[in-house]
Amino acid sequence: MRWGLGMVRVFLDRLYLFAGYAAGGFLLAIFALMMLLSAGRPLGLNIPAGDDLVSWCMVATSFLGLAHTFRHGEMIRVGLLIDRLEGRTRHVIEIVSLLVGGFFVAFFTYYAALLTFDSWRFHDMAQGVLAVPLWIPQLGYSGGLFILLVAFVDEFVHVLRGNPPRYEKPKPQTAEEVVEQAIQSGV
Amino acid sequence: MVELVGISTLLLVFLTILLAGGVWIALALMATGYVGMQFIGGGIPSGPVLATTIWGNSNSWTLAALPLFIWMGEILFPTKLSEEMFRGLAPWLNRIPGRLMHVNVLACGIFGSVSGSSAATCATVAKIALPELKRRGYDEMVSLGSLAGAGTLGILIPPSITMVVYAVAANVSIIQIFLAGFLPGFLVMALYSGYIAGWSLAHPEKTPPADPAMTLREKLHESRQLIPLTLLILLVFFSLMLGWATATECAAWGVMGSLAIAWWHNALTWESFWASVMGTVRVNCMIMLILAGASYMSTSMAYTGIPATLASWVDSFHLSPYALIAALTVMYIVLGTALDGISMIVLTTSIVVPMIKQAEFDLVWFGIFVVLVVEMAEVSPPVGFNLFVLQTMSGKDSNTVARASLPFFFLLVVAVAIITLFPDIVMVLPRWAFPG
Repeated sequence: MRWGLGMVRVFLDRLYLFAGYAAGGFLLAIFALMMLLSAGRPLGLNIPAGDDLVSWCMVATSFLGLAHTFRHGEMIRVGLLIDRLEGRTRHVIEIVSLLVGGFFVAFFTYYAALLTFDSWRFHDMAQGVLAVPLWIPQLGYSGGLFILLVAFVDEFVHVLRGNPPRYEKPKPQTAEEVVEQAIQSGV
Repeated sequence: MVELVGISTLLLVFLTILLAGGVWIALALMATGYVGMQFIGGGIPSGPVLATTIWGNSNSWTLAALPLFIWMGEILFPTKLSEEMFRGLAPWLNRIPGRLMHVNVLACGIFGSVSGSSAATCATVAKIALPELKRRGYDEMVSLGSLAGAGTLGILIPPSITMVVYAVAANVSIIQIFLAGFLPGFLVMALYSGYIAGWSLAHPEKTPPADPAMTLREKLHESRQLIPLTLLILLVFFSLMLGWATATECAAWGVMGSLAIAWWHNALTWESFWASVMGTVRVNCMIMLILAGASYMSTSMAYTGIPATLASWVDSFHLSPYALIAALTVMYIVLGTALDGISMIVLTTSIVVPMIKQAEFDLVWFGIFVVLVVEMAEVSPPVGFNLFVLQTMSGKDSNTVARASLPFFFLLVVAVAIITLFPDIVMVLPRWAFPG
């Protein structure tokens, strides 16, 4: 039993991480496609529907990395009030946050999956030069959200059992860590 | 009308509770959008609208520049660029009142033209300038303040993550906003340098002696350090101007150039490369989910008709445009004490933009206004990221750093006043590039 749970733990952690790696791969794809489009133009090299491909990679990189971002503590929340709370109150707040957040992630995931399923069912095709079935690029969208939902449920169970949340960044200790965290705020 | 007031109040209270309670900002925006949808008659399906709106907005060629601009910063931060900038700029500034303190402003301005983040610009320049200025005996308060203030040039001088977020939220052209940022960037630099010079003339006893004089030859020799960065800026600029690249593609050229610089500095290993990729993925995901939540909330708001009603209500006061801008400035300064820049933009754009259109301001101009107020938020406590950065790097307490930054905060207010009185400073470049 213990061994079985350990397996689940390893599997889930890898799921978030590898989805994050996939997001990294799509970022590299955006870079490569843009360089080919830009440098290829004077050379007469033409990538059919290059801009569509870039847009799809953008969706994939933005949604597949969500679970990894969440677990890395980089999905931002307003800490002004809750950072002052500790102990039991804080624990209850975390559970409520996870419930509310998780509910909307589930809602979003359900309808994104429905969108993808409908595209598949009705054989929707992309409008551009490249007639790709639309469900393929939409898979990154709904798939990424689904993995985020799994991470939310995972965290909810984890915190409910009295453990400290894993999506909170530990308080920065060194100067480098503070600077790094400030930069990761994106502004 | 009365009903709308009730709904708006409810939504505002609901959003505030969620945000203060620690619900992730992106999800709180989505939740507010969902609740707003419930008040619309006609049975608009809130779930499918959510899925299609966000799919449509994320599936975007223009937005793909966002992760690339983030990536540029992630690649450049670990390099020795800041040291090179300091050594290359310092010899030329010894004669000006304020001397090497101007390095802070110039180096941030230069780095701002390759970086899209304020905290990254501040940290990069402070890494070397802070200890060097302290060692030479410069006044620490002015040195800290000017670093906090000048760091914000990272988001005013393009490329800028903040500008991309605004452009997406307000649906205006990214390249026009970028162009609009240059002259206000120079204006803010001039204000900062002017303040530093004026302060030094007023306090001659606090300015340490100049570094030993150098011949022109030596100065030029030191300045060769600036070559890699200059090449990078020129690469991005010319790839755009010569038509090699579209506005979005020049971000890819920027990444290419940044990789070249990192390689030149021997700072490019497989490990650091992959770390920069994953760092970019996380920042990008965080911003994209916020944009997603915000786009759903805007759609929902537009259905309820709150922004339009609010705009005509504000219009009914016949405020002068200046009074409107003054009121908005105060509102953003207050918001900036609780929220970070990106959340502030996505939260307010859908509500404020109709108001701004009604008052006949240009949305490109308003973008620069928004960037300036976000800059103020960056240097004001309690959540100004530049203050965090400097607090840690200098080892001073938060009050000292906040007090040091105060004059530079007010200089940003002055900059807002100047661009409001003379909007051409903002608009001349975008109008020149996109006539009509």
